[in-house]
Amino acid sequence: MEAITLLKWTFDTVLGLGLLWLAWRALTSTDLFQAIILFVSFGLLMTLAWVRLDAPDIALAEAAIGAGLTGALLLSTLARLQTAEVENTLPQSVQPSSKPQLVHWLLIIIIPLLLAGLGYAILDLPPYFEGLSGAVAANLDASGANNPVTAVLLNFRGYDTMLEIIVLLMALLGAWSLGGMPPYTDKPAGAVLDTFSRFLVPVFILVGAYLLWIGTSAPGGAFQAGSVLGAAAVLLILSDWRLRPTFIQRTLKLALISGSSAFITIGLLTTLYEGQLLAYPATYAGILILFLESLATISIGVTLGALFLREPVKYMESQ
Amino acid sequence: MLTDIAWGVIVIMLPLTGGIICFIWPAISKTLGLITVVGTALSVTGLGWQIIESGPYHHTVGGWGAPLGIDLFADGLSLLMLIMTALVGLGVSFYSKSYFKPQEATWFWPIWLILLGALNALFLSADIFNLYVILELIGLAAVALTALTGHIAALNSAMRYLLAMLLGSLAYLLGVALLYHDVGSVDIATLAEKIKPNATVWAALGFMSAGLALKSALFPLNFWLPPAHANAPAPVSALLSALVVKASFYILLRLWSEIFGSFGEGAAALLGLLGAAAILWGSLQALCQTRVKLLIAYSTVAQVGYLFLAFPLALGSNGMVWGIVAYLALSHALAKSAMFLVAGNLLRFSGHDRISGLEGTVQRLPLTVSAFALAGISIIGLPPSSGFIGKWLLIEVAVTQGRWDLAAIMIIGGLLAAAYVFKVLGQTFSDAKVSHDTGTVPASMEWAALLLAIGAILFGFIAPEILSLAHIDVSPSTNGITP
Amino acid sequence: MNNAFLFALVGVGIFSLGLYALIMHDHLLRKILAVNIMGSGVFLVLVALAKRTGDALPDPVPHAMVLTGIVVAVSATALALILLLKVFAKSGQATLPDRCKE
Repeated sequence: MEAITLLKWTFDTVLGLGLLWLAWRALTSTDLFQAIILFVSFGLLMTLAWVRLDAPDIALAEAAIGAGLTGALLLSTLARLQTAEVENTLPQSVQPSSKPQLVHWLLIIIIPLLLAGLGYAILDLPPYFEGLSGAVAANLDASGANNPVTAVLLNFRGYDTMLEIIVLLMALLGAWSLGGMPPYTDKPAGAVLDTFSRFLVPVFILVGAYLLWIGTSAPGGAFQAGSVLGAAAVLLILSDWRLRPTFIQRTLKLALISGSSAFITIGLLTTLYEGQLLAYPATYAGILILFLESLATISIGVTLGALFLREPVKYMESQ
Repeated sequence: MLTDIAWGVIVIMLPLTGGIICFIWPAISKTLGLITVVGTALSVTGLGWQIIESGPYHHTVGGWGAPLGIDLFADGLSLLMLIMTALVGLGVSFYSKSYFKPQEATWFWPIWLILLGALNALFLSADIFNLYVILELIGLAAVALTALTGHIAALNSAMRYLLAMLLGSLAYLLGVALLYHDVGSVDIATLAEKIKPNATVWAALGFMSAGLALKSALFPLNFWLPPAHANAPAPVSALLSALVVKASFYILLRLWSEIFGSFGEGAAALLGLLGAAAILWGSLQALCQTRVKLLIAYSTVAQVGYLFLAFPLALGSNGMVWGIVAYLALSHALAKSAMFLVAGNLLRFSGHDRISGLEGTVQRLPLTVSAFALAGISIIGLPPSSGFIGKWLLIEVAVTQGRWDLAAIMIIGGLLAAAYVFKVLGQTFSDAKVSHDTGTVPASMEWAALLLAIGAILFGFIAPEILSLAHIDVSPSTNGITP
Repeated sequence: MNNAFLFALVGVGIFSLGLYALIMHDHLLRKILAVNIMGSGVFLVLVALAKRTGDALPDPVPHAMVLTGIVVAVSATALALILLLKVFAKSGQATLPDRCKE
């Protein structure tokens, strides 16, 4: 027993130090490509930390979104910066910071002070604290979900989730108002990627559906499933899969708003019939949660994929 | 019958729905946008009536109730902010109808309507984590609108704006995390009830206040505001200066009036000090500018400073000062949105917004220049405008508390404001030496600016009513106030 | 006593490193990376401290908050990256101009 505790402590300490080291390396690496790879490794190591903290839901989301999709977004941005930079002959790696030495020294003094203050504030907290876990457990049966995290996300704090899906939609609106991601067609996608994506996309869709289904009772759910779908969409886009313009205008837009519209519709109906925004009637709570999750999954997946697309009007012009 | 309707839910959901439909169906976005904004304003009236009739509005989202669920809550202060949003929203929407080119309008309407829904959600939320999500929604919408023209100056400012917003949100979120793990709730009323000053709460207070001060452009964290507000399209600048800056300030006000007020004396003094510095620095910078929009943007930095003087004054004033500050925020929103719309008219008229090139504008655009003059009167704080009443009351509070230093700074701020307002006005009245290459300004754009400016004056006449509205109290936990 | 405080302190450390890099770096891609790393630090604090429940399951509410936060973070990152590409396309620079020259 002693030995196992010691082993766990050693593991956690090494993991914590590893996270700090990777974060530092990702932030200071001289080469941008290397920095992004280190950032993705940092995300993967975070996944391990979430598992150690008994947060399997977050581990799944971090692996898919935090490391996976964010990494893909960063890399495709870098690729577009570098193709352009060759023409402009601009240095692609980091130049020495133009900040005055004064700022540097101020930060060197202030940040350790902040760190010490925060550390003290955290260590000042009581070692045992239940938070709201008692309240969640007491109301879990009435929530319509067996997984407490899903119950919080889709029921107790479903309003947050509604707004969060609108945040994602807003990011897409902002991205498309700027013209979206410019095309990157240096060379056509290779045959390997093509075959690869043909094989992987159905697998991703199946995994996504499984995660969504399992989510109400075990780790998984709309975010994880949505991000796996998003990854499938990104793969399709990277392997030069062409979308019909009418598809973008109609079907894609409807898929983009499906999650937020479902939340708004259910929200208004419950306000009308139950008197409270998003207060599900007890008998329908389970089915409503599954409905909301399914549509949220679709719109999260499609939106994450669409962030890699050009804005529709420009897209049609380029066809 | 009408009092049974959940107006508080409608003022959030209606604009969100409108925004989403505008995205799907751009062809009708202009008409639908205007209908939505008018409908939202009417719903705010409904909510206001409910609050006046039967006291603060309470809605438990999901039917769970805090601390497990999220609560919506609106008292007089929230109502004042909602009215501010509705009025400025109406003015800016009617202005934007003629302002944007079709390509820009496609994106302006959905983003603006969702921003409107998010602002209303913010003023109604009683949950500090929910406020974090809303802050991010507002931030992304504001950045997208700033970058709408696609000019390089706008893009650079939008990028700087976005990074500042993200930093502010993360600092705020860190504070939320600390408070939750100390108290076990993110509901403002529960926090107010259970909180005890300790190291964790102090750290949370510091990080949340710093993050929100950055988002409200409190001096010296105002570096992002002037370029963003000056390079955005005029109606967007109006929304940013009048409403978006107030959103983060409102959270700060809520946190201090309900949670931190009883023990954050030192920090309150610091916020007040920075506010005073902002008044002086912002006003002097405004005076030095050669472009109208930059001048107005720096004036916002100064006027936000006035709002921050409330923190050191609140402790000795029985909470009355929060009502005054909300009134002042409303007054500033009307005047400042009018000024930015005026700047948009001047740009449209002469193709630039250099102050030196404004000679003789008064003969060509009398309504626009009158709008600037009226808004200027309120910004300076001359009677009978709402700016006068708000600043006068604030000075009175400062004097009764023996804070002559703050009173003096407010008066100096008024004098400097007079100088920068007349710097612009004087040019418009001087004789034109060269004939301008003039564009035409649609009447709706002139009238929208003028009506907002008239509003800023008229609110001075109904100040007692507005102030009594602001004091429709309030959760029993509020420090020092007995309802 | 378990690993809650250890990981919370690591989270604070990651937040501080990110803050330093966000202010010091000029390249916008690095600033965006720094914001993401800061966010991970905050999420780690939020979730680590939820594990102070003894042998019981951790508090699920912060877990749900972090799931929300991760989606919000990727949204903001996406917008920031597109904005960066647009800035780069117009100015040929992946940095912001000096404030004094604007």
